[in-house]
Amino acid sequence: MLRLPAVSRAIAGVAHSKTCLAPSNNFRTSVRASSNMVEVFVDGKPVMVEPGTTVLQACEKVGVQIPRFCFHERLSVAGNCRMCLVEIERAPKPVAACAMPVMKGWNILTNSEKTRKAREGVMEFLLANHPLDCPICDQGGECDLQDQSMMFGADRSRFTEGKRAVEDKNIGPLIKTIMTRCIQCTRCVRFASEIAGVEDLGTTGRGNSMQIGTYVEKMFMSELSGNVIDVCPVGALTSKPYAFTARPWETRKTESIDVMDAVGSNIVVSTRGGEVMRVMPRLNEEVNEEWISDKTRFSYDGLKRQRLTQPMVKDASGQLVTTSWEDVLTRVAGVLQSVQGNEVAAIAGGMVDAEALVALKDLLNRLDSDNLCTEEVFPMAGAGTDMRSNYLLNSRIAGIEECDVLLLIGTNPRYEAPLFNARIRKSWLHNELQVALVGHEVDLSYSYNHLGDSTQVLKDIAAGTHPFCEVLAQAKRPVVVVGSTTLQRADGAAILNAVSTIAQNARASSGVEEGWKVLNVLHRVASQVAALDLGYKPGVEAIRNAPPKVLFLLGADGGCITRQDLPKDSFIIYQGHHGDVGAPMADIILPGAAYTEKNGTYVNTEGRAQQTRVAVTAPGMAREDWRIIRAVSELAGVTLPYDSVAEVRDRLAEVAPNLVRYDDVEQANYFKQANELAQTVDQTLLAEPLIPPQVSVKDFYMTDPISRASQTMAKCVKAVTEGADAIEEPAIC
Amino acid sequence: MASTAATRTASGAVKVVKPIFSRDINEAKRRVRELYRAWYREVPNTVTLYQLDISTSQGREKVREMFNKNKHITDPRVIDMLVIKGKMELEETIHVWKQKTHVMRYFHESETPRPTDFLSKFYQGHDP
Amino acid sequence: MAEYVNLVRRAVGQLTGHGGVRGLLLQFFRANDIKTGALVGVDKYGNKYFEDNRYFFGRHRWVIYTTEMNGKRTLWDVDGSMVPAEWHRWLHCMTDDPPTTHPPVPKKFLAEVHQINVSGSAEQYYPYSTTRKKIHEWVPSKAGDQ
Repeated sequence: MLRLPAVSRAIAGVAHSKTCLAPSNNFRTSVRASSNMVEVFVDGKPVMVEPGTTVLQACEKVGVQIPRFCFHERLSVAGNCRMCLVEIERAPKPVAACAMPVMKGWNILTNSEKTRKAREGVMEFLLANHPLDCPICDQGGECDLQDQSMMFGADRSRFTEGKRAVEDKNIGPLIKTIMTRCIQCTRCVRFASEIAGVEDLGTTGRGNSMQIGTYVEKMFMSELSGNVIDVCPVGALTSKPYAFTARPWETRKTESIDVMDAVGSNIVVSTRGGEVMRVMPRLNEEVNEEWISDKTRFSYDGLKRQRLTQPMVKDASGQLVTTSWEDVLTRVAGVLQSVQGNEVAAIAGGMVDAEALVALKDLLNRLDSDNLCTEEVFPMAGAGTDMRSNYLLNSRIAGIEECDVLLLIGTNPRYEAPLFNARIRKSWLHNELQVALVGHEVDLSYSYNHLGDSTQVLKDIAAGTHPFCEVLAQAKRPVVVVGSTTLQRADGAAILNAVSTIAQNARASSGVEEGWKVLNVLHRVASQVAALDLGYKPGVEAIRNAPPKVLFLLGADGGCITRQDLPKDSFIIYQGHHGDVGAPMADIILPGAAYTEKNGTYVNTEGRAQQTRVAVTAPGMAREDWRIIRAVSELAGVTLPYDSVAEVRDRLAEVAPNLVRYDDVEQANYFKQANELAQTVDQTLLAEPLIPPQVSVKDFYMTDPISRASQTMAKCVKAVTEGADAIEEPAIC
Repeated sequence: MASTAATRTASGAVKVVKPIFSRDINEAKRRVRELYRAWYREVPNTVTLYQLDISTSQGREKVREMFNKNKHITDPRVIDMLVIKGKMELEETIHVWKQKTHVMRYFHESETPRPTDFLSKFYQGHDP
Repeated sequence: MAEYVNLVRRAVGQLTGHGGVRGLLLQFFRANDIKTGALVGVDKYGNKYFEDNRYFFGRHRWVIYTTEMNGKRTLWDVDGSMVPAEWHRWLHCMTDDPPTTHPPVPKKFLAEVHQINVSGSAEQYYPYSTTRKKIHEWVPSKAGDQ
């Protein structure tokens, strides 16, 4: 395990603070507080920097970019590519800018003859063993080596010898390796060991025979493995599903939001000709930094399979046949008109946008029904969802970097929210965060204190009798995170009460300032917070108890209601984008749009509203979800008062104003009151152990309709269960 | 002629806008009448020349409609400009620089009006 | 004088040679012609083949189509492809020997039952697409399966 020693961490801390925009870097403040700024000169321009700043960062401060390959802001400094050599005035030889701390009064010459000569020489050495196959290389057009050799390289070659060749490695169905192209920057090795927390990648050999690899034939199977593709400055590690499909200059980029988990990672969707070609991360320090999980990155091929493209209706023989919108809307409207009050109910799934949620709620309310549920369960006893603080990740994802003790309860953040786990790991690595876990023992990629998986432990901690309470009591900034799946048990309300008591006690003992949040809920699906904000009832228990005559499934593919739960003559309408679990049991199918095909609002587990953008148009006759509901309402004679997205968002603002304040986290409070209300409920905890549904890596890949339709994700599952050799790749790869 | 008219007004003491052709509304109206007459005479030729499936009277009705569409305009400069454009159209029609479809485009036969209400927009496509 | 008599005789022959006024009108509207000629043969579908060498080359052989072929009513809806291969040779002057006197050598590629061109109908040939589908739609399972 890589834990930096204190001194180097301090240096690395300063190194990070320059480039990270996040203000929440408390482990760096100690260094900054005692600072007496140092004056250095970059090409004669004076600049004041903190001691310990590297030459490269000092140059960046005045806006001079130094070419680099091995240096990466979020990784430790390696200093082995030598591309960042710069001349220091009166220094005997050029220095590597990324690793050299500045000294007082240095004059850094970033464009002198000696510097340029050094860069040209380094570039010549790098290209000596790099194949000149840019025309067939997937990195072509976005390759650092390509760009920098144009900027800083020589204009001719003096090279006549043969080039080194390295055998390619099979490291799984996601990442394609062309190891001959590798320039040994070791960014991937550092990413794997520092960010992803798996010691799979490493270097073997020295000098010319140095190789990056996995030592033995094995897969690089991390939930964040796809990020090495972005990290790799050359075309040595590229995306296997994307191989030979598109060039960066052919694609149109759309900035969007991911909905595979509740983190709401910021993504860029690259499209070409009405087809999603790939998904890449977008920088957002508050949410995902610059990483995304493999499910986010590679499940896009699920958007092209198993799609609902035509309205369908069940004919006399019980077979679903395609039909027209006019026909299907008239039928739905007729069915909705034939029932009254609570005979119609709706269930919202995990990938529904807030616009569709509010439209469906308005429609059902106009039909005098309030039977609106989400698939995910949340305990309603006590404060329930009335207090917003009860169901949010109040500390925020970035807030994890400021805490010192973290208690995870009944969750496996590594697979439920990989980027939240990456934050915990970052904090564990740099801030000496202490992590404890109540629940099933899982590999979280960092060491933690396992307190057991029974509910008795919770009770003990709440009562203050558990040994861990001493640790909690000494914590300056404690954080408690409970997984949403734990609250879905029959004793969810009691668990929530225990957790909230633990949080209240920890808060009282730490004496932390008023704004610090302790209690957190980590959700699994993207639509849950928005649905609860809009007043949906969590869980389908009510529907199971009083089966409705008409059931409207809005993207509900969790399979929590089946045909058997309903009377024979009940009528099921499914609206969604994939033929997964919900569609086969429906009487009528209304094809909707997936998250890349609509302007939708999603609220992540922190309560941060973000919006997706239209990257491609919905396939076939599919339409945006809220439009379908709006059209149904008109035919059913209860026309909803909005015709455009802007008007829907006005309506959203009426119901829950925080849903349209994009990129802004609305604070939630009343923890104490929620805790007091929770005391009133039944406190008996069941004896069953707390086991999250996603325990090992094979549970991670296929969790929702899109990733279940994805072939890449299916390959991943096959690879982790049967090994990388079980995957048949086309010969071209 | 136009240039003399322009110089005459430009030399006037009061600041007046430079006319295109016509100094006052009556002159502009005269030009419109001339253009209308020319179109009126040209319609039978056009119908035969382009083998249009319309009668002469229908063509003349359309010409009248096109002129009536702008009858609210009173600014001689605007009228002049419209007359110029009308003359260009006429010239193109007389010289058969157009094809049948370009002439028939005045009749909007093959155009379907864009939907305005939500439901017809919904039926028609993704975002019309 | 004699040629005028001949002309009148041919004219009368054309008017009367189709089986009365009804036959004449039928012939006129179906074939846009009322010429008469020597009946060279009738194929198995009922198409009648005529020849009259007094017309110039290209008009001297013609076919009067049958009214029902392969189950399709062809009284008005006639098509050039109703002529089977063996008569096609003779009709298009590739040979002067009609299949009545010179029956065609049986070949395995010759169709037993001549098929009319299906272009424009539901059975017409569509070239299959060689491009990859961008979106694969969900196909519901058959009703009895679940």
